[in-house]
Amino acid sequence: MRADFLDRHSRGTSPIHQLPAGGKLAGAVLIVVTVVLTQWPVWLGVAGLLIGVAALSRVPVGFLVKRLLWFEPVVLGMAILSLWQPGGVEKFTTLVCRSTLCVFTMILLANTTPFSRLLHVVQQLRVPAIFVTTLALLYRYLFVLVDEAERMQRARQARTYRRTRWTVLATVIGQLFVRSTERAERIYAAMCARGWK
Amino acid sequence: MIEVRNLSYRYPDGKEALRDISFKVADGECIGLIGPNGAGKSTLLLHLNGILPERLASDPAVFVGGQPITEANLPEIRRQVGLLFQDADDQLFCPTVLEDVAFGPSQFGLDGDRARQALAAVGLAGFEERVTPHLSRGEKRRVCLAGVLACDPKVLVLDEPTTDLDPRGKRELKDLLKRIPATKIIASHDLELVVELCGRSILIDRGTVVADGETIELLNNELLMLEHGLERPHILMHQHPHRRVPFLA
Repeated sequence: MRADFLDRHSRGTSPIHQLPAGGKLAGAVLIVVTVVLTQWPVWLGVAGLLIGVAALSRVPVGFLVKRLLWFEPVVLGMAILSLWQPGGVEKFTTLVCRSTLCVFTMILLANTTPFSRLLHVVQQLRVPAIFVTTLALLYRYLFVLVDEAERMQRARQARTYRRTRWTVLATVIGQLFVRSTERAERIYAAMCARGWK
Repeated sequence: MIEVRNLSYRYPDGKEALRDISFKVADGECIGLIGPNGAGKSTLLLHLNGILPERLASDPAVFVGGQPITEANLPEIRRQVGLLFQDADDQLFCPTVLEDVAFGPSQFGLDGDRARQALAAVGLAGFEERVTPHLSRGEKRRVCLAGVLACDPKVLVLDEPTTDLDPRGKRELKDLLKRIPATKIIASHDLELVVELCGRSILIDRGTVVADGETIELLNNELLMLEHGLERPHILMHQHPHRRVPFLA
């Protein structure tokens, strides 16, 4: 599997891709803060801006929409809780709009800037090294983990003749956890072998 | 260069992994470490640059360049003994190729240009900005090797270096390893690789050294090979069609 389902288009050649990573990160943070602090007339402007950036970046629309839909269940899941509060409907729409705009900003950032460049920027901002390393490892092994889960899933399907039971799924998740722990130990050993202290 | 004296090791769960292992490796020698699955080869290799045991014992069993491995000289030992792991994904943890190869040199305070030189040495010049998860398995393996070579080790310790390489990848790796002058210890099931590269081999099974001697003599002993889960390699039985073998000609 090509492990690039999150940021497949991060290495493009559009004008947006060529902007400095630091500027894009600052812009993205600024947009998120603006969205959080303001109300709907401003959101329209932000949405227009994001759509403009998306068009300029030449990242396929279908890809962006699909990724946005991936995150929507999480957004809706959180927003639904507010329906039980007084003035719930208004709070619900506010939450959904804000979160969707923020998530879309981050999807655009991830697909116009390679993750390693973002890490460099974060490093230059003197963010503690341990955070940067953790982020780098998270990004690196997320794909390995997904890949491993997919292979286990395929192997299981090859021997499954009836409907999948929940207990089987639980076993798979448990196995994945054990494998990740073991892999973490091996990665740490490999890092130590090259002088990590 | 490397000496192992009466090394024994138990895993934290109490299972015995190595029992009373002793051998010496001279400067510049290339040693094959062979044995069936679960014989303790990988565990032994992890001892050679102090990854195992978890806590260094008071009576050290492994000596590198005459020095016992201690807490104090661990960084120096790890620079001198470069370890190539069995699974490339365990070793490559940085987002881009160049960052990963430069990781070792930066830890040891070595010149930053080494990473590029090491990449060129394994034939991957121009791969600097590639993203590690997107490489093929063969490329990953070579990046790992570059990461080890960049630290300028005196001893190369390789754990199954040819697994998941295609025949061309294997051939290129063999040629590359032949050109590297460092002392080498290669654990492998690829007995043809061992025959081609290693003058001497050590056979271990169930955590102990069963035999230690000249590779061809050892691997030609069919009974011994079968007894320990191995086979006499084809390269020793007949003229290999892909390459002239000097000792059979």
